[in-house]
Amino acid sequence: MKYSFLFLLLLAGLLTGAQSSSSMLSDDSTRSIELREIQVSTTARSDRQRMIQFYRGNQSAGIEDILARLPEITLIRRGTYGMEPAIRSLSGGQINVLLDGMRIHGACTDKMDPATIYIEPVNLDEVQLQTGTQGFLYGASIGGTVNLKTATVPCHNTRKINGSVSSGYQSAAKSFYESLQLRYSSGKFAIHSSVTWRNSEAYRSGGGQRIPFSQYQKVNYSTTASYQLNERTLLKADYIGDHGWNIGYPALPMDVGYAVARIGSLSLQQNKPGQRMYQWTTKIYANQVRHYMDDTHRPNVPMHMDMPGRSLTWGLYTEGLMKLTRQQQVRVIADFSSTRLKASMTMYENGQPPMYMLTWPDNRKDQGGIGMNWKWRADSNWTLQSVIRMDLISTALTSQEAKEHIRILGVNNAGRLELLKNISVTAVRKLYPWLQSSLSLAYAERMPTATELYGFYLFNAQDGYDYLGNPKLAPERSLQGEWSLQVQGKKIRIKTSLFYQHIRDFISGSIDPSFSTMTIGAHGVKKFSALPDAHLTGVEASLLFKPVAALDFISTLRYTRGEDHSGDPLPMIAPLKSTSTIRYQFSRFFLQAETEAATAQKKISNKYGEDKTPGYLLLHVRSGFSFQLAGKKTDLQYGIENLLDKNYHEHLDWGNVKRPGRNVYVLLRVKFG
Amino acid sequence: MKKTACILLSLSVLSVCFLLTACSKDNADNNPTTGMTRISEGYAAGAATKVEIYSKQSLVNTGYNKFYIALYDSVSGNRVEEAHIHLTPVMDMGMMQHNAPFENPVSETASGHLFPCSVTFVMPSGSGNWTLEIEVHNHVTGKEGTLVLPITVTDPVIPRQQSFTASHNGAKYFISLIEPSSPRVGINDLELAIYKKESMDNWPADSSLTITMIPEMPSMGHSSPNNVNPVHTGNGHYRGKVNFTMTGLWRLNLDFMSGTSVADTTQSFDVQF
Repeated sequence: MKYSFLFLLLLAGLLTGAQSSSSMLSDDSTRSIELREIQVSTTARSDRQRMIQFYRGNQSAGIEDILARLPEITLIRRGTYGMEPAIRSLSGGQINVLLDGMRIHGACTDKMDPATIYIEPVNLDEVQLQTGTQGFLYGASIGGTVNLKTATVPCHNTRKINGSVSSGYQSAAKSFYESLQLRYSSGKFAIHSSVTWRNSEAYRSGGGQRIPFSQYQKVNYSTTASYQLNERTLLKADYIGDHGWNIGYPALPMDVGYAVARIGSLSLQQNKPGQRMYQWTTKIYANQVRHYMDDTHRPNVPMHMDMPGRSLTWGLYTEGLMKLTRQQQVRVIADFSSTRLKASMTMYENGQPPMYMLTWPDNRKDQGGIGMNWKWRADSNWTLQSVIRMDLISTALTSQEAKEHIRILGVNNAGRLELLKNISVTAVRKLYPWLQSSLSLAYAERMPTATELYGFYLFNAQDGYDYLGNPKLAPERSLQGEWSLQVQGKKIRIKTSLFYQHIRDFISGSIDPSFSTMTIGAHGVKKFSALPDAHLTGVEASLLFKPVAALDFISTLRYTRGEDHSGDPLPMIAPLKSTSTIRYQFSRFFLQAETEAATAQKKISNKYGEDKTPGYLLLHVRSGFSFQLAGKKTDLQYGIENLLDKNYHEHLDWGNVKRPGRNVYVLLRVKFG
Repeated sequence: MKKTACILLSLSVLSVCFLLTACSKDNADNNPTTGMTRISEGYAAGAATKVEIYSKQSLVNTGYNKFYIALYDSVSGNRVEEAHIHLTPVMDMGMMQHNAPFENPVSETASGHLFPCSVTFVMPSGSGNWTLEIEVHNHVTGKEGTLVLPITVTDPVIPRQQSFTASHNGAKYFISLIEPSSPRVGINDLELAIYKKESMDNWPADSSLTITMIPEMPSMGHSSPNNVNPVHTGNGHYRGKVNFTMTGLWRLNLDFMSGTSVADTTQSFDVQF
């Protein structure tokens, strides 16, 4: 540890030279994407304010649309809805997707329901993204953390109900978006509720073809109530319910009949509870997800199948920020969570008893960990930071039936107990007032997922193989580094990051010819096993340019390469992609033009059944203005996405299902109160 | 005060538990045939012994049947636990008669008050009548006697016995599926009994065959992993493992070899649960 620290200092020094200047400490590896127009402005967040419009392309955008605009994030797409986020091409168990620090486990064995689908942007204040080297503060991971921060309600003594109503329509999927938000606050008490309804039909792709089974419907409702116990202490209760139904997955052989999440938490937030303590939050939470796959609407189904799944998680955490000295601060977290999963499959053949098996044999994961993020502003030029985390994780099969299933694979004792260690060091150096360089090195580990340990004949529609878990899998380990440079001028900000990951015991499915397929039509059986190693290299860049007050230009770019031990490309790696936006704001009117461009992806994984994906260029135009409607502040937004009606798909889209074509949207929002 | 109450309560709970377990143990000891069906009963006249035949199945099926014989002194009603029992199953078809494979109790001392044995009824009743002749030598009294019990044998809905004429020697073999008797998802014991028909009254156990067993789900066309082919373990019994990855209808496909020559590759058993 000492040596790596010295090594780091040396390397950073070499890379950045020895110029000096003075600056503030910046949290370099965390990107916070604000989603809500700030109501109480305590700190200057002008940069973030500017980014709001960029990340929320239109006000009815879902979480996925917002995530898709972060250069670090790619989305694995199986349907219009339920896209699985990946941070720098790492996904699933390699990253944490948290809701306000809470763990939520999807209840679908086929990853149709990443935790992100159960949240609506109206519930959120911001999306926090931490990449690999520092992304494990909230949980052992090698790829980073996406934390969706839910809305907080400030307590005002207004004793008035205020809120907003939004209504939108999008032409490509003939989809409607309706949302209502209400706020009320009286002295020490405040409550905020929202309801969002989305109804989307099968959309038309570029060129006009309808994509069958791409429809969805959902209702999301949330309530946050807070009570100010005393000047420094806030008690907060949150509840989010999300009901989705008739959700099509064009790239999969089945759709989703319903997906229901119930998410509740109680938290205590303290501001400056002690002389050195800056913030302290303690939260207890529980959530349940039920997910039901359905093939009754599909033609030519060889055999009708039911695939229900459920997940149940509860946990608690306590997190605080302490100022040790004027130069040093430390964020500490201790957390525990317990997740139970079960999924089964029942197939029906006339004249025979139903065929029933567990696809996620009943299992439980208990996880407890402590983490620390220590930051030291050594002098006006140097800032050092270290993140350390330890996790004790135990997994077990919880029913006799589950144990019998896994015994078939030749494993008698499938329980696991692992101590996971994650550590990183970061050095940030101001070279000039306008130039800052930072370097991070990290060692990270992550636990194999329930699917990787205990999955039982899980069909993967992308490569056409049935997947079997391997209870003996070792944790994935990663050595990684990240170097970034940031130029900050009066009118311009440029940031580039270069990263490298070397992953040992990389978990991947390997064909095992000794098993016969379960799914009709599957090519074979793959068993999760550890490849000796894999590595990922990539670059991200973003540019913010504001030549004049009325004009904003934002551009992002990313490129990643991944290879396994034999030099073959890793699957699900997006090609070079760049998104650029120019926005002209004049008084209450804005006009925005965007381009979205990706090169062809030719570095494909044949083992994973990938094919080459051509490049594309998309053009979007957006506009909007604010006005008073019957005395209420009203926003009207409209625009055309995919203006050229390009027929395209991205490399991470399963089954090469084409994306929506030209889409005209309009959204009206009225604020009241 | 509270503490004492707690201790008292837990003590009483413990003692009740103890009493309950003690009672259930006694019951099991008293009645070894709980859960079994009495197939038939009668008196072995010369031996002054009452004979009761029990089975874990409710009916006597074509194929291998495990029986448990209980003996009682016909005068005192006491259990007889030392005896020598010999079985002779007979199929009377009017024009002709034949026997069937059987296994006499291995020991002359009862195990758990009962004498386990088996009879493999190679065909159902109907075209003829089955009888089971039981010779009892009561070691307690020293008396010997015989009784003949009629047995009704029915074909189960899903056959548990198959037969084939072996291509390597032309002999007829009868294969019974003994296990899995209560199949479930997971690893199941697989047990087959194989008898060769030497003549109408000679049905010896076979130990000469090697078996390859591949389970299959006919409606899905898939198999299951890590099965263990049954191998001969004595007295015509072949034991292995069969794994079921889900409930439903499974077919156990069987290939029989004698050394390097093929005996038969056409047989299978269906298992449904």
